[in-house]
Amino acid sequence: MPIGKKIIFTTLLLSIVLLLSSIIAMSAGSSGTHFWETLSILTGNSDPDSVTATIIWQIRLPRVILAAFVGGTLALGGLVFQALLRNPLAEPYILGISGGSAIGAILAMLIGLSYFPGVAIFSFAGSLLVLAFVTTLASTTLGNTMLGKDSLLLGGVMMNAFCAAVIMFLISMTRSFQVQHILYWLMGDLATIQKGQLSILFLLFPCFIIIFVLSRPMNLLLLGKETAAAMGINVKKIVLLLLVITSLMVSIIVSLSGLVGFVGLVIPHIFRLVLGPDHRILVPSCLLGGASYLILCDLLARILPSSGELPVGIITALIGAPLFIILLLRHRT
Amino acid sequence: MFIHIPRTHIILTLVLSFMLQTGDILAGPVTDQVGRTLIVPENPTRVIALAPSITEVIYSLGQEKRLVGATQYSTHPPEAEALPRIGSYIRLDIEKIVALKPDLCLATKDGNPKHIVDKIVSLGIPVYVINPLNLQQIMDTITRLGTLLHAERAAVELVADMEERIEQVQALVKKARNKPRVFFQIDAEPLFSAGNNTFIHELIELAGGINIAAGEDSYPRYSWEDILVLQPEIVLISSMAGGLSPEYLIKSWKRWNQLSAVNNDQVYVVDAELFDRPTPRLLDGLELVAAIIHPELFEKNIKRTEN
Repeated sequence: MPIGKKIIFTTLLLSIVLLLSSIIAMSAGSSGTHFWETLSILTGNSDPDSVTATIIWQIRLPRVILAAFVGGTLALGGLVFQALLRNPLAEPYILGISGGSAIGAILAMLIGLSYFPGVAIFSFAGSLLVLAFVTTLASTTLGNTMLGKDSLLLGGVMMNAFCAAVIMFLISMTRSFQVQHILYWLMGDLATIQKGQLSILFLLFPCFIIIFVLSRPMNLLLLGKETAAAMGINVKKIVLLLLVITSLMVSIIVSLSGLVGFVGLVIPHIFRLVLGPDHRILVPSCLLGGASYLILCDLLARILPSSGELPVGIITALIGAPLFIILLLRHRT
Repeated sequence: MFIHIPRTHIILTLVLSFMLQTGDILAGPVTDQVGRTLIVPENPTRVIALAPSITEVIYSLGQEKRLVGATQYSTHPPEAEALPRIGSYIRLDIEKIVALKPDLCLATKDGNPKHIVDKIVSLGIPVYVINPLNLQQIMDTITRLGTLLHAERAAVELVADMEERIEQVQALVKKARNKPRVFFQIDAEPLFSAGNNTFIHELIELAGGINIAAGEDSYPRYSWEDILVLQPEIVLISSMAGGLSPEYLIKSWKRWNQLSAVNNDQVYVVDAELFDRPTPRLLDGLELVAAIIHPELFEKNIKRTEN
């Protein structure tokens, strides 16, 4: 199949999956499952003022939208970092984004700022600070290049470890009832989203488009930086652009949802196994597939407990880690 | 002397005084305990209590018929366990709240996360927030909830009863010759106690004891070393401490026979619910603590609860 056709085919198929998972996620929740009623509400054939309609439009829809963006962005972030760092274990938080944003968020919570915009801005600022530090560190230790992939990786891992210590320090100094908020945020939680905050997510669209445009250079980067440079790619510029764009969009997501793990690891690996290494296909696939995956995980987080709900980060890790191991085993044999 | 009063002024005054008189009955904007203004229904019939303490107060006002939902751990009175659950006070299930079609939600500032309260409000459900920080403010809260739920008389009686019980304890404690040093353990492994700005501190002081954890920090942490230096004469342990059994909690103190509280057998496990919920049951806690601290004054009046 020619590449153009293959892109359109997989995108179309995964879009249908995304649509279906959205509808399923919107039809179930703690107040009960109403599939047909949901369909008639979504298609406008039902009283828009009913309680079920309010629940679907005002409570479930914003969450499904947020889950879609979080899942898509994290999967895409994982894909890009795995290509840039040429390391299969790279994930969207690898450069210290998680640690930095967690410190920012916890500080904001301790000051008593509201979730939005206070905590979101602080966590965004925290991740950018750490990111700037790590990239500067990597470029100065190696003198001239952003491509010191191991120094980037090591710098990120160390920054995350350092941040983890700061986080533990902050938690140990915290009054007991605040600890719960902080822990839920660290576990990754979509429950705090409000309708008005969703508009920020549209900032992510340009990031998605730029990454898709850069998917061919990413293919060449996989061959090594010398080969890529020989094929006419401005390696330094492309790498820097991808690093900044990806980190930016992951920071936006983290500031809204906390730390949702494993999506950025599992989804890119699944699609790479199924669809091959071509980023022109992988970029849209990870975006749509990651979105569907997190929508369904969030559905489980909402309906599994008999009372209340789980943070979605627990579900993604509980499903993601075993799934990843199974993938590894099947890949070997 | 003749003072000319324009007729319109008289009419205006009459209209105003009429409005003021009926203002208490009509539904309209009210100000809650944190200073938010909101419109409440004239006769709320579908109320959700967003914290166990609020459920408790509604029951003690005899207005449970208005309740359609409560949070996890709303276990008092036992009938409250039958109410539909809407998550825990810290993790409220908004979808369930909306599905119960409430016409009023009662929230507490110290506990319910603000962003969730905001979200409920944004869905068109009025949320009245209470914020009682001491016994006096609990009585104010009860009066306010009595007005909201048309139980003014029950509220007045409840508050009068509470005031009477506080006065009784105070009158007896006045006769005490000593003020024992009390350590109230709210959590174990690590040890935590309660400082100023807590109900526990207020109850210990009212009961004629000295709270050795008094200080700016509301929930200070202690090591056994600190305890040995502080030498409490009476130790009260919350039954919720560390999720551990009362026997275990007491045993962990009995190791230290250098403490006078241990030597004199003054280590007690007390029901946590009587100390951590802003409800009239704090008075049970007060009487219990007073009886433990000053048994010589209370033996006749209040049955002493042994550990």
